[in-house]
Amino acid sequence: MTTPFGALTLVSAAAAALILLHHLVARPALTATVRLRLLLGLAVLPFITAVSSTAFGLHRTTERDFCGSCHVMTTHLRDLEDPTSQGLAARHARSPFTGPTACYTCHADYGLFGYPLTKLTGMAHVWNYYLGGYSGWSLERFHAEVRTAKPYPNANCRQCHSGTLASFSNVKEHVALTDELEQNRVSCASAGCHGVAHPFSKTAEELAGRRRR
Amino acid sequence: MRALVRLLARWPASKALRAACVLGLCALTLMALGVVFATPLPVVAAMSVAQGLGVVACLLFGLSIAADVASRRP
Repeated sequence: MTTPFGALTLVSAAAAALILLHHLVARPALTATVRLRLLLGLAVLPFITAVSSTAFGLHRTTERDFCGSCHVMTTHLRDLEDPTSQGLAARHARSPFTGPTACYTCHADYGLFGYPLTKLTGMAHVWNYYLGGYSGWSLERFHAEVRTAKPYPNANCRQCHSGTLASFSNVKEHVALTDELEQNRVSCASAGCHGVAHPFSKTAEELAGRRRR
Repeated sequence: MRALVRLLARWPASKALRAACVLGLCALTLMALGVVFATPLPVVAAMSVAQGLGVVACLLFGLSIAADVASRRP
């Protein structure tokens, strides 16, 4: 679990904490040496700790077990880890390249501001979970009432599947729906196309493509 | 500038330094907890509340050192 950034966070935090505890207990006079020591304990080492813990946190928030640590996401995580699941997300999560960060890879928006906007959206999820009441919801209620805030962008699929090869353009449905796919009016991950990504969380109507939410 | 000098003259340097140490310890603890537990709330706290506390501790340290230096000037 602990990455090099995580280890650096713990080591620098422990070193700074020792300096600060010593100052609180010993209460030394403010000599030049003490000032330098406090500079280390209150500025230099905490700065290193803050940078490394932020790097650790930003990486950690891309891991799928992080997303699955909220109880309303446990079925999503279980489905991704199920080697027999035929859901679209589960099949993608088996890739050793994207698997460990499967949620982030598919749900992070593409583009210049994709990264910060995705992080802000993630903060909204944390807010909704702890302060919006989701933490008290049952899985059944969550699956029945919660859907993505906006239609899943096809551009995210095209980060890997460029849609420029013959294997894509030789499919007549792709050709017939070129404009709809470009304008996101038809989702790649929809019933009748490649199927919904997380089928266990959808109603029978949604799975049959009779209702689009 | 005069206001800053007046503030520094009355600044309780040793008390502020102790407060900075306590705030710094709180910030460091939150950052370490973010790594140890690595679940949403500790990670978010490490990247927000902890850094805010750390900045306040650093500012208190800077003001205290400035006040100490100012008080030693002839």
